[in-house]
Amino acid sequence: MASKKSPPPAESKVTERLASIVDAAERTALSVIDDAEKEAKLYLEEARARADRMVAERLREEADRIESQGSGDGAAPRLRAVDSPAAPEGTAGGRAPAANGGSAAARLLATQMAVSGSSRREIEARLRDGFEIEDTGEILDAILGPEE
Amino acid sequence: MNLTELQALEERYLMRTYRRAPVEFVRGEGALLWDAEGKEYLDFLTGISVCSVGHCHPAVVEAVREQAGRLAHTSNLFYTEPMVRLAERLAESSLGGRVFFSNSGTEANECAIKIARKHAHGRGIEEPEIVSFERDFHGRTYGALAATPALARDRALGPMLAGFRSVPLNDADALREAVGERTAAVLIEPIQGESGVYPITEAALSAAREACDATGALLIFDEIQTGMGRTGSLWAYEQTPVRPDLLTSAKALGGGYPIGACVSTPAAGEVLEPGDHGSTFAGGPVAAAAALAVLDVVDDPELLRRVRELGASMGDALLALDGVREVRGRGLMLGVGLEEGVDAAAVGADLLERGLVVNVPEPGTLRLLPPLILDAEQVERAVGLIRDSLLTAL
Repeated sequence: MASKKSPPPAESKVTERLASIVDAAERTALSVIDDAEKEAKLYLEEARARADRMVAERLREEADRIESQGSGDGAAPRLRAVDSPAAPEGTAGGRAPAANGGSAAARLLATQMAVSGSSRREIEARLRDGFEIEDTGEILDAILGPEE
Repeated sequence: MNLTELQALEERYLMRTYRRAPVEFVRGEGALLWDAEGKEYLDFLTGISVCSVGHCHPAVVEAVREQAGRLAHTSNLFYTEPMVRLAERLAESSLGGRVFFSNSGTEANECAIKIARKHAHGRGIEEPEIVSFERDFHGRTYGALAATPALARDRALGPMLAGFRSVPLNDADALREAVGERTAAVLIEPIQGESGVYPITEAALSAAREACDATGALLIFDEIQTGMGRTGSLWAYEQTPVRPDLLTSAKALGGGYPIGACVSTPAAGEVLEPGDHGSTFAGGPVAAAAALAVLDVVDDPELLRRVRELGASMGDALLALDGVREVRGRGLMLGVGLEEGVDAAAVGADLLERGLVVNVPEPGTLRLLPPLILDAEQVERAVGLIRDSLLTAL
């Protein structure tokens, strides 16, 4: 059961009031700082989200472009693997089928690796090893821009 | 309570589903673990690729502490901000569609299987079939188990769910033949993890994409072990010539807290409707807050570059050791194939004694899944310990 307390003497009442005024002022100041921090954080997060969306949009555009180059049958845009011949005997467990420099799969691999932060040298090595592409310049330049 | 007492209680009260190593870990920090005796270990297993940002990463600890002190659970009948923000982050960093959260990897695969089957029924397929590779591991719940050929053969656990078939690992021709009018999906681990770290070739991946496109089936990548930066890109598919329609994630996603996710392309994200699927705990605010903190760490081009570089240099150093036949994998997901006659289980046990935690997924293979934040000195130390252990074993 709750119990009531007797009222404090007048002097301590003034002290208490002063303390509460100071306390309220401090809380207000902290709240202003907090709001400013929140606002700054929000701007930062929005900027990051915008950057993320731009990267994702670029990837989708690139994928659509690759798709439109690869099919041309009027079907709904969809990513496809390279239209490669069946793997020659003995290649199962080995490399990807050899394909020409403009293959959609090679371009997709290069695009995905670029978006994921791989270097030009790393992408070039994968194109050479996985697709047996000797002249990787065309694909690399198209995706990363010409080498300076 | 000492180890002997723990073992006595385990013997009395725990179901006998695990063979545990005789060590009780009590503390972790970064790439290091300490047992109850105070002995230090270098952790090259990270709880099977879970603690990829290291043990007790300050950002994850703070995110969990803050969220747990504010709100732990409400169910999926209401909104919570961490879950929605995590969905946006996962979708925008991968396939651009929608996300279904789960509590584990196997549950994430259950969602993918459900989507594939419903998608197939929508295409008029009455008895849909899911194709996977031999040696795949997709989980231990019944749907995922049925897609795990080695475990699905266990008659003692039967009958298995119908509608699953497998083809030999990396056999592109067999995969093309297996995918037909009844195929709902091809379910692939881009690098097989539990069976010993076996990468799927680009030829096989391309064949899977082609076959799915030709028939209308969905291509599903199980990225439960390969995802979240493990192979040197946020998702392993980013280093392959294909994009899947669905990918599943778990393990490292929560940095030690249980959470899984099934992520879709925009089209595949339209398959499930209200009532088709659900989970009480999934996407809970604490696990989602942990996952957002983990993503802040691993979705960093500089860290991913280091993962690729450290993985390559560690692979080269391991390959040069006596007793090592081959090194498989990508980034910091490595399978070390030992020469014939070398007892991998004995080497694994010896390494634990020496203070290096690894895993032996199959006879002849050591599996290394160190934290992505480890440094070159720790790599050198681990390679030195493996060298010393192999010299003893040879």
